[in-house]
Amino acid sequence: MRNFMKSAALVAALCTSGTVQAQEDITITLVPGLTTDAFYITMNRGAQAAADALGITVDFQGAEEFDPVLQTPVLDAVIARGPDAILIAPTDTTQMIEPLRRAHDAGITVVTVDTFIDDGKYQDGAGDGDFPMAYVASDNVGGGRMAARFMAEAIGGEGQVYVSNVRPGISTTDQREEGFKAEMAENFPSVTVLDTQYNENDASLAASQFSAVLARNPDIKGVFGANLFSALGAGNGVEGAGKADDVTVIAFDAPQSIVDNISSGLVDAAIAQHPAEIGYFGVMAAYAVLTGNSVPVSIGTGFTVINAGNVDDPEITKFIYSE
Amino acid sequence: MSTNTGASILKPLFSAWSWIFLIGILAFFELYARAETGQTFLFRIYNMQSIAIAASQILLLALGLTLVIVAGQIDLSIGFTTGLSAVVMALVVRAMGPDTGWGAVIMAMMVGIFAAVVVGLLNGWLVAILNVPSFIGTLGTYGIARGGALIVAGGATVSIRSDEARSFGNGDILGIPVPVVVAGLLALACHYLLTHTRFGVHTYALGANRASVERAGVNVKRHLIWLFIISAVTAGVGGLVYTGRFSAGAANAGEPILLYAVAAVFIGGASLTGGQGTITGTVIGAFIIAVIQFGLVFSGLPPYWQFVAVGLVIIVAVLVDQSKDKLTGAQS
Repeated sequence: MRNFMKSAALVAALCTSGTVQAQEDITITLVPGLTTDAFYITMNRGAQAAADALGITVDFQGAEEFDPVLQTPVLDAVIARGPDAILIAPTDTTQMIEPLRRAHDAGITVVTVDTFIDDGKYQDGAGDGDFPMAYVASDNVGGGRMAARFMAEAIGGEGQVYVSNVRPGISTTDQREEGFKAEMAENFPSVTVLDTQYNENDASLAASQFSAVLARNPDIKGVFGANLFSALGAGNGVEGAGKADDVTVIAFDAPQSIVDNISSGLVDAAIAQHPAEIGYFGVMAAYAVLTGNSVPVSIGTGFTVINAGNVDDPEITKFIYSE
Repeated sequence: MSTNTGASILKPLFSAWSWIFLIGILAFFELYARAETGQTFLFRIYNMQSIAIAASQILLLALGLTLVIVAGQIDLSIGFTTGLSAVVMALVVRAMGPDTGWGAVIMAMMVGIFAAVVVGLLNGWLVAILNVPSFIGTLGTYGIARGGALIVAGGATVSIRSDEARSFGNGDILGIPVPVVVAGLLALACHYLLTHTRFGVHTYALGANRASVERAGVNVKRHLIWLFIISAVTAGVGGLVYTGRFSAGAANAGEPILLYAVAAVFIGGASLTGGQGTITGTVIGAFIIAVIQFGLVFSGLPPYWQFVAVGLVIIVAVLVDQSKDKLTGAQS
């Protein structure tokens, strides 16, 4: 939240300074990681809100799967249309550098949202993918730390927990796990984090893995599901073992199905990102660059913890990703 | 030809290899668990229940697929037929309102299976009537079923709140989890169909030599259509079980399981060229995969070994399949 306020203030300051040019001509295209995901659909809603506020046009064009091989042709077609700026969630840190360089070479401003290329640190003269103007995203490491603090509190500061994750090599889910483990190691030494279990986005496998971890470690206290299917599977495993009262399940992300599982008690809490905020400030950052203003190269957006106590609060439900 | 006598000795050994392999890995994990933690791996109801549930989810995709592969075809579309059924069932339950009774849930299941049958009919039409190779045709319907599932679900996972659906996925009958009962009954039905009916005889014959079956006056087109419908239905039941287990229908529910299902069928002794394979073998194959997945976690081996192990089992299965064909001179 502190990050959010800071970036909000920064962008607001940037937008009021500088001269506004023929704004109705500005077009920006948002290329999500995939088009069929509530997270990116919500992000687009934030981007459209910014577009309305600025009186510019924002298009939404992407592939149906999170895959650089599918994202590149979409990106090429977008470049051919020649928007002023492209907001993109790159589907691979390395493979998307060259395709995006073509946009940069064509004079299109590039801003990455949610995921990044290269090392994620732009305009510092280091690395091949240094040309994007800004990176707008949740601080996934921070989100993982938040999940760890919430978990530690729920289990009384001690015991065994593990991370249920998708597969190694996805920047965002890797960072959540990294943050979770770092926070536990630094501030909750009595909590033991067991080996991570990778489920390939298969909730059934995630459930079976929970059963096996439980069989091996009967005193297991909690599971951190790093994405939707990891959390759904772990929650089902917990329920199947009749351990709903003993094992805490914390989910990352807040699509409707996770929220329903919080209501039913299968999942104890969810760390919700603010995708609409990412879309909003992504557009604002691109607009600032196009109108001759400088922008921070990294803009971090916030998180909200959703649990059984606040899941019906309208101030909280606005952070549920909607379809 | 000259290896005929050798083949007669080797054949039973090869048909039993999957049993031997399953017993071998169970023994390995039992010994490992006892040596490392002093716990038993095998003799715990909870472990066996968990493994059986995981195997059932794989099996529901693999059962109908076995019949299709025995007939010398393949059905890749089941990966998303499962997702389509899961999403359709969830949508119908959701549309019925918050207090759904069993009637509504059963109705939703029937609609989910109907969606699967549509995919099966489409596969049958492409392969039997239009003579599209099944690998290509079902790859096409794989995409269509996926798109269909995503479209009806609006791109998201459809969550439901229904105690009945939940007990279908998570309850038990006399201590046996419902998904295991469902998969077991379907396995018995498929086994009966394949071994005790003319339909089964024709299925094996179709995989071994299509021309001779046609000459014998069997309606091959209709037979193929039925096979693809059965395959779609068992995969569709997999989707219903998924929605029950996770209180959510996901379009990609079956996608990661497709590979395991194909592996289970081949581990179970089916051949890429058709004419071979049994339901018993496929059941063993599904259990081998589920035992490895559970056992590696239980044994506390580093998680990356799970990828290696499942990959190795698939390669071993295909190698055994090939050498079996060579040694028994079955490649005709």
